Amino acid sequence: METNRDDFIIAIRSALLKKGTQQRFSLLSLIFFSIIFLILGGLNFKVINYIKIGINEIVYRSSFIISGPENFVKNNYLIVNEHFDLYEENKKNIDEVNYLRGKDLTQKIIILENIKYKKLIDDYFIEDKETVAKVLIDKQSPFLRSIIINKGSKNNVELGMVVLDEEYLVGKIVEVNFYTSRVLLISDINSKIPVSLQPGDIQAIMSGKDKRKGILQYVKDKNLTEINEKIQVLTSGAGGIFKSGIPIGTINADEDISINEDKVVNFHKDFSQLKYVKVVSFSKEKSFLDLSSKNEVQKIKDEIKETNQQQETVKILLEQKKIADEIRVKIQQENNFLREERVRLKNEILAKKKIIQQDKNQEEEVKFLKMNLYYGHKCRKTRFNSRYKVGTAEYRECVLNKGLN
Amino acid sequence: MNKIHQNNIQQIIYKYIPIILLFTSVLNEFDFNNLGLVYFSFNFSYILIFYYSVKKSQSLGYINIFIAGLFNDVVIGTPIGLSSLMYLMICCAAAYLRNITLRPSLIKDSIFFLITILIINSLLFIGLNFIFDYELNYFDQIINITHTFILYFLFSNLFDFFENTFTGRTN
Repeated sequence: METNRDDFIIAIRSALLKKGTQQRFSLLSLIFFSIIFLILGGLNFKVINYIKIGINEIVYRSSFIISGPENFVKNNYLIVNEHFDLYEENKKNIDEVNYLRGKDLTQKIIILENIKYKKLIDDYFIEDKETVAKVLIDKQSPFLRSIIINKGSKNNVELGMVVLDEEYLVGKIVEVNFYTSRVLLISDINSKIPVSLQPGDIQAIMSGKDKRKGILQYVKDKNLTEINEKIQVLTSGAGGIFKSGIPIGTINADEDISINEDKVVNFHKDFSQLKYVKVVSFSKEKSFLDLSSKNEVQKIKDEIKETNQQQETVKILLEQKKIADEIRVKIQQENNFLREERVRLKNEILAKKKIIQQDKNQEEEVKFLKMNLYYGHKCRKTRFNSRYKVGTAEYRECVLNKGLN
Repeated sequence: MNKIHQNNIQQIIYKYIPIILLFTSVLNEFDFNNLGLVYFSFNFSYILIFYYSVKKSQSLGYINIFIAGLFNDVVIGTPIGLSSLMYLMICCAAAYLRNITLRPSLIKDSIFFLITILIINSLLFIGLNFIFDYELNYFDQIINITHTFILYFLFSNLFDFFENTFTGRTN
């Protein structure tokens, strides 16, 4: 028993510590190195990061070169395949183009409407930075489905930027070096993307499954089974990582939707065939780009301004009317008062005039009587003269003329 | 003289073929470890390292294996140092096997290889899943281990053939 244990210890010691021919390090020391690398890498130790970036640059370039012959063979194989499929594909494409042309106009209108509504709810994003990059390596690791692109921090690529192939979602940037970056594909099991299923506007989380497929998580089965047509899977924009409405893939209504089974999303793109990708970041639009919308908004603004001005004018006019009414009421009251006063004064004047007339008559009477005393005898009719009878108008006139006629 | 010189060059090339194979398998985009097939994948690097560590330990060299591991980590995106550690543990197991083996046999080697890759993949799974928060598929791992084990027989014979034909007999 003891001998066996000794043999074991000797064998282990020999395996770990013995340097072979042309070996500078023992296994044990290299294992220690690896562990140190792992621990320091896990702690984001600066030196390890620099080493990693250095190795990254060397490996990505050399991997690109080493993969050259294989890519050459692969590409040629694909070209030959494509060549054989060309005729059928062309026929199919012509039909599709005709069909799509019909749909194009409707789509344009829908897009414009969509933009308008998104602007209304302040959810309209435009491409902020855009870089086109070449895929250097698309080595599919069992642990991480990712690709390496030939643009890095030198080309303003930043962590979290969205990677698209045409308009379809490919993944996002998870590692940025100076000249290269790593893109985590949406087909990776670790990528969790908030998606929206149309029609129905059902929200879910999608994670990768294999090269051309993803699976939906956290989705209500019941809602899905009610939809009888092909379901489009788009980014929902929840969480703010991806903008909403980037197409991802489809779910076939008849095959993939059944309760208690994984809902499989068929990606639009085959990620193993990526050659060039677009790295973009999105930001909210600050000014409207659409000229017609801009004019419309300006028109509405003008209308609002005009309406406001009119409202102000109406307010002022109402105020003026109120004041005018008050003044009118006051004037009316004053008028009534003055009218009454006028009537009163008129009456007074009439009364006064009457009095004056009476006084005048009395004065004339007094003057007649006085003159009658002096000149009455000259005018009075007697037996000896043919003058005027007392009390007649001629007598009065004669008296007043001092008896001269 | 010329023929001898040519033979020497050939010998040198044959000598470095395992290293070239190792680095190519690590750096190349075509990865047996992930062929894109649902029920088929195997780890060619494990087979290569184990075979040459058992049969011809001086062919690869621990430093090369260590560097290949670092490259592999960078290419597939795992934490740096992890693949190196796994490769070196395979070397460690292979060295132990070499020390205790008196009469080499393919069956015994392959069983030992199976145990080794089971342990290695378990450690890898623990490391990636629990320490570095990577999500792994158990089923894929099992498929990978099974095929790596089965294909060890094929590659072992192929390497034997190559060694016997081009570089002379193995240990």
